[in-house]
Amino acid sequence: MDIIVEQRTPTTIVRITGSVDGLTADTLMATLQQQIDAGNTRLIADLSGVSYTSSAGLRALLATVKQARSAGGDFRLASVMPAVHKVLEMSGFTTILKLYPDVELAIASFPA
Amino acid sequence: MSTPPRKRVALVIGAGSVKCAAALGLWKVLKREGIGLDLVVGCSGGSIYAASMALGYDADEVEAMTIAMWNRDVTKRRDYASLLGAFLPKLFRFRGHFGMVHGERVFAALRKGYGDRTFADTVMPLFVVATELATGQQATLASGRIVDAVRASIAIPYIWEPWAVDGKLMLDGCLSAPLPVDVAIKEGADVILAMGFESPYPRRIRSATSYAFHVNSIYTNNLFRANYSFHNLAHHAEILPIVPDFGESVNLFDTHKFAHVIACGAQAAEEQLPYLKQLLAEPSASSAETARAP
Repeated sequence: MDIIVEQRTPTTIVRITGSVDGLTADTLMATLQQQIDAGNTRLIADLSGVSYTSSAGLRALLATVKQARSAGGDFRLASVMPAVHKVLEMSGFTTILKLYPDVELAIASFPA
Repeated sequence: MSTPPRKRVALVIGAGSVKCAAALGLWKVLKREGIGLDLVVGCSGGSIYAASMALGYDADEVEAMTIAMWNRDVTKRRDYASLLGAFLPKLFRFRGHFGMVHGERVFAALRKGYGDRTFADTVMPLFVVATELATGQQATLASGRIVDAVRASIAIPYIWEPWAVDGKLMLDGCLSAPLPVDVAIKEGADVILAMGFESPYPRRIRSATSYAFHVNSIYTNNLFRANYSFHNLAHHAEILPIVPDFGESVNLFDTHKFAHVIACGAQAAEEQLPYLKQLLAEPSASSAETARAP
């Protein structure tokens, strides 16, 4: 899995490529946690390069959204691929996470 | 130095009628790769395949068995006594439950497949999920005749009468656990292959039967998501969703689509195979204490 962090103040874009699963979830969580600790709590995950997520990946996403919201921000998802969207839907995550068709719309969704 | 415990692998096949045959495609891939299962769990249509796998049949045998067992003949005979009791209870005694279709044919079909074999005859642990009518509780069946467990697990409400197991009337497992990942978690599985299906909604509702199916689908799809969400968060290790993309609708008796459904199941399994292999190559974090309960 590759992670690229891009600051688009006041938001932070985390571009992820690969699978979000048991082998990669810890690395992803550590990266996202670092951003929240640094005060970058308006997080957007660009999932256009993610083709799969398992239960470990879902737990990482949930932990991040809870931390971001606790810190006064939010963790939003953009460009979710159909296979990942299906898993998010099956697991009820689409009811608690905000999803956007692309990163620009996700950026615009945060109040200025 | 002791060898770390091997990861225990479970296959969970959820409700989904003919779509559940996709598990055979998954199973073929696992067999080819030499990946063994430690237990198998089935619910509703999934119980038919789980039971057949657990009895040691190979995928081709199960396909042939299912084609012989599962066809429109099993729904052809209406249960008029049950219907009269339901809609004219003052004239005909209502039994506390009803089904529009007579259960005799479906039971005979299942009996042809499983005979009187019991859970003790399986080559790997099998768990079949049904729902107790009286309490609404999920029932995990793991003893007695397999034909009774499967018949109970597929007792679609309003379509077939509930089925008695150990003196308790049971309905379709999809009413309590459409994808019973919880059974695999409880039985100590580390890696859980979860093959589940949401029920399709008919484009048009043209009969009382399709209305009943539609309403059932609403309940069970919402339950499916709620349960799956909880299970994902509760499990200590990995749940791998194996979600085939059929590219077309697959309905209750579309047995002519078996080959396609099985191929889609195999394709979905192939997509997860590299990750599954990596996962199984890692030492298990859980201890031997999670070994199967006696």
